[in-house]
Amino acid sequence: MLRLILGRVLDAVPTILLILTLVFVALRLLPGDPALLALGDYASQEQLALFREQMGLNLPIWQQYFVFLWDMVRLDFGRSLTSQNLVVDMIGRNLPYTIELTLMAMLFGILAGIPLGVLAAVKRRKWPDAAVRVYSLVGYAVPDFYLGAVLLIVFALNLGWVPINGAGTDLASRLHHLLLPAITLAFVKSAFVARLTRTSLLEVLGKDYVRTARAKGAREPRAIYRHGLRNALMPIATGIGLSLLATLSGSVAIELVFNRPGIGEMLISAIARRDYPVIQGGVAVFAFIVLSVNLLVDLAYVVIDPRVRAGK
Amino acid sequence: MSPLLKIDDLAVDFIAKGRITRVVEGVSFTVNAGEAVGLVGESGSGKSLTSLAVLRLIPEPPGLIARGRIEFEGVDLLQLPRDVMPEIRGSKISMIFQEPMSSLNPVMTIGDQVGEAIKLHRRMSRSDRLARVVELLQMVGIPDAEARMGAYPHQFSGGMRQRVMIAMALACEPRLLIADEPTTALDVTIQAQVLDVMNKVRQDTGTAVLLISHDLSVIAEVCDRVVVMYAGRVVETGPVATIFDAPAHPYTDGLLRSIVRPGHEERRLYQIPGSVPPAGSIKAGCPFQPRCPRKIDRCAVDMPPMFDHGAGHGAACWVTAPVRTTEMEVQ
Repeated sequence: MLRLILGRVLDAVPTILLILTLVFVALRLLPGDPALLALGDYASQEQLALFREQMGLNLPIWQQYFVFLWDMVRLDFGRSLTSQNLVVDMIGRNLPYTIELTLMAMLFGILAGIPLGVLAAVKRRKWPDAAVRVYSLVGYAVPDFYLGAVLLIVFALNLGWVPINGAGTDLASRLHHLLLPAITLAFVKSAFVARLTRTSLLEVLGKDYVRTARAKGAREPRAIYRHGLRNALMPIATGIGLSLLATLSGSVAIELVFNRPGIGEMLISAIARRDYPVIQGGVAVFAFIVLSVNLLVDLAYVVIDPRVRAGK
Repeated sequence: MSPLLKIDDLAVDFIAKGRITRVVEGVSFTVNAGEAVGLVGESGSGKSLTSLAVLRLIPEPPGLIARGRIEFEGVDLLQLPRDVMPEIRGSKISMIFQEPMSSLNPVMTIGDQVGEAIKLHRRMSRSDRLARVVELLQMVGIPDAEARMGAYPHQFSGGMRQRVMIAMALACEPRLLIADEPTTALDVTIQAQVLDVMNKVRQDTGTAVLLISHDLSVIAEVCDRVVVMYAGRVVETGPVATIFDAPAHPYTDGLLRSIVRPGHEERRLYQIPGSVPPAGSIKAGCPFQPRCPRKIDRCAVDMPPMFDHGAGHGAACWVTAPVRTTEMEVQ
C-alpha cells in the first residue's frame, strides 16, 4: 500500500517538471515586457533596468530557467511584479475559495448524478431513462458561464435569493455566496455523472455475479446496489476524478462570472498584467492539485477494488 | 410419493427484433427428493433455459415462459407472484453456474458471499452465521477455511471458486440444487474433484440435484437418471445405466458413441453429421430427423410422442418405438 502510494508520487515528478517547463517557456514567448507593464510607459531606462535586475529578468534565459526551477522546488514563488505581495500569500488567500467552490460543485454533482444514473439504468428504455437522457444532453450543451449568467440574473438580481457577487465572510454567508456558482458548475457535472453511472451500472447488471445474487434470493434493490453499484463505482470514480479537474478549470470562468475571489480570478488578472511570478505560482499550484487528484483517484480504486490491492 | 420438482409441458420463447422464437418446447420431466437427474444436450438445446425457468431467472424480455407448469413441492412456481420467488431462490432451490470466474462478485469477500443467502433467509446471529460459513467451506474441501473467509474471489483458483459456489448454494440446505455445467470451465483433474465434492454433498445433505451438462461422462459420475434434450425438446429419458447400455433414441446413441473411452483411443470418434438446427426452424416432424441415420418417411411428417420402453425409460422416436405400445406417462 505504502509502496503503491510512493510509486505513484514518484511517477508525478516528471509530469510536474514538464508542466513547469511549459509554463516557463510559454510565458517567455508571450509578447509584452513585464517591466514596462509593471512600471508604466513613462518609466526611465534606468528604472526599467533596475527592475529587471531585481526580478532576475536580465539573466540569460537558461539561467532564468534554473533559477525558476530552484525557486519552485523551495516553494518560493517570489513576489508579484505589480503589487509586491508574496505570491505564496496571494495563493493562500485565493485557493480556499476555489477549493470550496470546486468541492461543493462536485458534491452537488455527485449527489444528483448518481441517483439519476441509477434511475435511468434501472428503468432502462422507460420514461425516466429518456428524461435523464434529455437532462444530460442539456447539461452537456449549455456552457457553464452562460448558465451562470442566467442563474445570476434570475436568482440574484430578480429574486434576490442569493448575493450577486463576492464570497462572504462567516460560514453561513460563505455558504450562501457559494450556492449559486456551485449549482452552476454542478449542473454539467451531474449530467456527466448520470450518464457515466447509467452506462457502468447497465454493464455491471448484466454480469454473472448479479445473476448469482438473484439466484441466492437477493431482491432487486440488493442485487442493484449491493452487488451492482459497488462494481460500477470503478469507472465512476475515474470519471469523477477526471471531471474534478474539469470542474477546477471550469471554476476559473465561474469565478469571473460571479466575481468571486479565487485562483482562477487571480490567474486571469495576472496574465493580463504579465505578472510572471503569480502566473508561475498559480499554474504550479494548479498542476500540483491536478496530480494530487489523480493520486487520490488511484487510491480510491484501492478502497473499491480488492484486486488492485493485490497489485494486479 | 409426489416428486419434488415436476416440470410439465414447459415452453419458452425468445423475442428478438420483433420475431418470436420457440427455444424450449413441451419439456416435461421430474426430479424426486434426494435424486440426481442429469439434463444433457448440446449448446442451444434449451437445457440451461429450462433450468433458469425453474428459478424464474430468465430475463424478461427477451425471454418469456409461454406455457407449462413447474411444480415444486406441489406448488406451481410459475403461478407465484414475482416477489415471492426471492424467498425460494437460494433457500429451497439454489443454483450453481457454469463460469466460476465471473459468477462470484469480485468486490465481496468469500465469507460474505457464502453467508449472504443465510443472512437473507435465516434468522441467525452473526457469530452463528460465520461458524456456518466455515463449516460449509470445509464441507466443499477448502483448506484453512477460517482464514480464507476474508479473501476475495481473485485470490482463488477456478476449481476453488466453483467449490465456493457450491458452498454458497448449499448454505440454506436447499431441497434442490441446480448445477448448470458446473465443471465445464475447469481442467479435467479439477472437474473430477468438483464432481467428488458434489457427490459427497449429496450423500451428506440428501439434496436433490439437477445437473445440466453437455458431457455424458459428467452425468454418469453423479446422476441416477438422465433427461436428453435436443433442439428444445426432451428426446429420451431413463435411468443412467439403461440409457448408457441401450439408448433408444438415435441422438442419444450418437452422443454416446462420440465419448472417448479408455482403451479405445485408436478409434476415430463418432461424430453426428450436421449441426443442431437453429431454434424455431423445425416446422414438422422429429427435430433430429435431418441428421438421423435411421430415419423413416414418417419422421419428417409427425413429431414422435414419448414411447414407453419400460422401467422408466422413454424415447421420442418412431423407429425404436416398441411394437405394441402406448404413449408413456411421463414420469
